[in-house]
Amino acid sequence: MMQLQGTVKRFGDFTALDGVDLEIPAGTAFGLLGSNGAGKSTILRLFSGIYSPERGTVTIDSENVYDNVAAKQKVFFINDETIQYAGFTLDQLKNFYKQFYPNFSDQIFEKLEGTIQLPRNRKISTYSKGMKRQAIIITAIACCTPYLLLDEAFDGIDPTMRIIVKRMLVDAMCERQLTVVISSHNLKEINEMCDQAALLHKGKIIFNRKLDSLKGAVHKVQAVFADRERIYTAADFPGLEILHFDKNQSIYHIIAKGGEDTIRSALAPEHPVVADLIPLTLEEIFIYELEGLGYDSNVFA
Amino acid sequence: MFDIDLMSRTPIYEQLYRRVIELIMKGVLREQDKLPSVRSLATDLGVNPNTVAKAYTLLERDGIIYSLAGRGSFVAKPDTLFAQEHVLSDFDAAAARALEVGIQKETLHARIDQLTDTDKKEESTS
Repeated sequence: MMQLQGTVKRFGDFTALDGVDLEIPAGTAFGLLGSNGAGKSTILRLFSGIYSPERGTVTIDSENVYDNVAAKQKVFFINDETIQYAGFTLDQLKNFYKQFYPNFSDQIFEKLEGTIQLPRNRKISTYSKGMKRQAIIITAIACCTPYLLLDEAFDGIDPTMRIIVKRMLVDAMCERQLTVVISSHNLKEINEMCDQAALLHKGKIIFNRKLDSLKGAVHKVQAVFADRERIYTAADFPGLEILHFDKNQSIYHIIAKGGEDTIRSALAPEHPVVADLIPLTLEEIFIYELEGLGYDSNVFA
Repeated sequence: MFDIDLMSRTPIYEQLYRRVIELIMKGVLREQDKLPSVRSLATDLGVNPNTVAKAYTLLERDGIIYSLAGRGSFVAKPDTLFAQEHVLSDFDAAAARALEVGIQKETLHARIDQLTDTDKKEESTS
């Protein structure tokens, strides 16, 4: 299990993580979502031992990570920057990592490389962005660590390669209970691959839930009420936790938390003539949760 | 065969659950047919293996498939009533929606008659 407890990370007077508690059980695929600068990469860098926290703890299987070789050997971190080791060829890159990861498997490396066929004798600096990503991903999987951290890992990879990479990761998850932590702006990847996801904003966790329970946890409501003359406000529905409330002629658009039954019974006292409910997609949940915190896409509309 | 819509509002496990029932009702999957393993289906679709396992668990709970240790999951003897009920719940929802917006019961009846008439015509021409 990977764990943060009351973790604070500052850079000068900027607080990147502001007292975060997070548990990532072994064997899960965990998604980190968040606005730009929310603290996603900081969490991954703490777990890979690049940063030490100012306060709180960062542990893997109950051991502190920073300056701890045994803990760091359990983790492979795929950085969102692709400039590292640009002077290496693919085989030099492989041999570089092999010396730090005792479980490195040449057999897995060759099998994965065989499916994507990178130009092995060229320097990685001559690779395209997507090819650099593929090179580091197959190296990472071949290191056979129990934990794999991917920071914006699918950036720059074409759709076909995206499927291949996802299959490689799922296969490793089945094969050896690999724990994967993915940070991404692309909610599609998180949706497909992850069991659980946390949303971060300004260094704090806004929610952390199983994806299955997240779907259906927030609804978009379109309602018309019997009393068409009356102007309702969010305050007229005390039983609802409302993220968004507006009105267009007599039709109300409401984004509210809760399952379908909860919402319907909260609307019932005002006698809706029509009440259509649809569950939000992950992308919509992301937008409306952050809108509720003042991070609003309507500033440019 | 197990096409799913990854951007849908319906959870992936639920889509898989429905898809298996649909394939059985259409006769694509038959009694005793072996389903793909969790690993191969998850890898194929690029989705979390736990999601596939969850769909299989629910299918097994509802008696639609059964699993044999070490051999995999198989289609059980179809319980026609259960499967029908599953499809009919979609019908109920659509009918309720139509009634809610004021469409008359008779219009719905006529609609069903129309559908069955079209079926008959297609049969007689083919």
